[in-house]
Amino acid sequence: MLNLKFFGTGGQGVVTAAKIFSTAVSLYEDKYAKTVPAYGHERRNAPVFTDVIMADEPILVNSFVYHPDLVLVMDASIIDKNVDPGAGKHDGTILVLNSENPETLERYKQYGFKEFYYVDGTGIAVETTGVGIPNGSMLGALAATGIVKIESIEKAILDFFSKKAGEKNAEAARRAYARIKKM
Amino acid sequence: MAYKMLDGNAAAVEAMVLARVKVISAYPITPQSYIAEKLADLVAKGVLDAEYIRVESEHTAMTAATTAQLTGVRAATATSSVGLALMHEVLGMTAGIRMPVVMPVVNRALLSPWSLWCDHSDTMDERDSGWMQFYCQDVQDIIDLMLVAYKTAEHDQVLLPAMVCFDGFFLSHSMQKVDVPEQELVDNFLGEYKRKNLYLDTSDPMFVNDLTPPEDYTEFKYQMKVAMDNALQVAPEVMAEFERSFGRKLSIIEEFQTADADVVLVTLGSMSGTAKQTVLRLREKGLKVGLLRIVLYRPFPFKQIREALKNVKVVGVLDRSSGLGLPGGPVWVEVSCALSGCGAVVKPYIGGLGGRDVPESTIEKIFNELLAIKNQETETHTSWIDTKANAMDIREVLKVV
Amino acid sequence: MQKQPDGRTPELKKCRVLGPMASIFTSANTGSFRIERPVVDYDKCIKCGICARNCPGNIIEIKKEQKECVEIDYYYCKGCGICANECPQKAIAMVRERGEH
Repeated sequence: MLNLKFFGTGGQGVVTAAKIFSTAVSLYEDKYAKTVPAYGHERRNAPVFTDVIMADEPILVNSFVYHPDLVLVMDASIIDKNVDPGAGKHDGTILVLNSENPETLERYKQYGFKEFYYVDGTGIAVETTGVGIPNGSMLGALAATGIVKIESIEKAILDFFSKKAGEKNAEAARRAYARIKKM
Repeated sequence: MAYKMLDGNAAAVEAMVLARVKVISAYPITPQSYIAEKLADLVAKGVLDAEYIRVESEHTAMTAATTAQLTGVRAATATSSVGLALMHEVLGMTAGIRMPVVMPVVNRALLSPWSLWCDHSDTMDERDSGWMQFYCQDVQDIIDLMLVAYKTAEHDQVLLPAMVCFDGFFLSHSMQKVDVPEQELVDNFLGEYKRKNLYLDTSDPMFVNDLTPPEDYTEFKYQMKVAMDNALQVAPEVMAEFERSFGRKLSIIEEFQTADADVVLVTLGSMSGTAKQTVLRLREKGLKVGLLRIVLYRPFPFKQIREALKNVKVVGVLDRSSGLGLPGGPVWVEVSCALSGCGAVVKPYIGGLGGRDVPESTIEKIFNELLAIKNQETETHTSWIDTKANAMDIREVLKVV
Repeated sequence: MQKQPDGRTPELKKCRVLGPMASIFTSANTGSFRIERPVVDYDKCIKCGICARNCPGNIIEIKKEQKECVEIDYYYCKGCGICANECPQKAIAMVRERGEH
């Protein structure tokens, strides 16, 4: 069983990213995944999070993730908005960050994640889709960690968007998958 | 098998479409809104051959659904929380005139405090309304129990409406992998809806729900009591037939590692899944704990619960509603009653109110306490299991002296 | 009933209350939702006030005596862009509020 936590800000498509990821894992890899969404007073720009649990067998738990194995941060600014992306992490927890800004990377390094992947997902989103919504690109970034295949992510993206937007977002995912770096 | 990724609301819609509902009157309310919106969308696009009645309140939604079903079709509606409370008056009519309406209810706390989030206080307040109540553990359950609910409700020996209850956000908005049955199989399982008993037909008029004098009121209520008794026989038969048709096993109560358990926890709804995972983990440590999940809560499976738990020394019941004015919630009251004379200690627990998560740690805390009580190591009993220590002091304000 | 203040600054004391209530509305800063901010080009502006009349938040004030006559309360402005759309002179531009890295 793998517990994931996605952080971001309202309007970035964090919840959609979790749904696409779960679909990729469940329908295209013969595994099981469920989203555990946290709904609050939704506001654009406010920090949001959503959880995903994946496993080879059907999942019994219907509760939030408190000890994530992987943390995805889609908006680096959450650490200035009273969010601790390192909360509940353990010795093996992996971080995937949407930023290539050296100062930001330095700040995130302090959390001491075991593995630290990073890519400018928003930049890739702008160059592929024209809009700075990084959910497509950051799904490609997730595939780079090896927990899901990039082909599965692409198929699931095409399920969720219209044809044109789907192809652009799938391209964003492929580029992030190719460009991602590991610290 | 045709797997789909669906959240709880979408699964409820799938079930209603598979049941070929012909009239829909639903009023949107968080966290149920998707159901009302999606059904409207399907009707507008011509995917679902049904009439959509736009209503101004839940009171009217239930009135329209019930009376539409009186004309001889399956009608659909869905609600949550205060929406269900606003239906309260009409729920009694639906049951009393024996209309087998099936309604998904997305569990959300009742005010006050205002909340959008999950607990069972809404449906618990309707437990004696004459409606059957099924509680779902996961999204697959929502489709499966909806189909079982239709067939049970429409059975000649039952003819009572049914609520299929599932937890707001934890299920309504959780996307899960679901096996959606084929339309043909569902058609064979449910059969075409036939009007039975009372109906509305302009060529053969009858006056339904007229004023009933004291001479007859008790007898009509008694008929409903008999129907509830029958439902306890019919529901397991329907579930067995469901398993033959769709391959998934269902039961009105679910015994999970109870056979040799020292202590057993009783739950309903989505927290049952988390509790099962906790049981598996504690079993690995050698602790003999078990879980009893109530699937069919109305009619209450009195004998089945007694039979399942008669030899257990200590039983805990975790209610997801507050049961104010009693030491525990409604499920605790009824489980205690079912076990009276068995010699079991039945401890009440209240938790998961107003959207508070019920994680494995909460369940483990209960099991540890139950085991300590069983081993006579403690007198401590923490009925409000996940309440903050500073509960009485969470608001301080500046006031004019 | 709550005691009425008598004109002088009333004396305030911290008191415990039971039940849900808030004395500070923390969601009031609707400006934090904003992704784009309306910016007025005063070379084009004709002080007609159409932006103020169409603002759904009622947070635009026109001060005709000033050159920079359109006063937008950015604490509340959500950046909906209705003022920019309604402006007959196309004098209001929607400018990105923050660079996404």
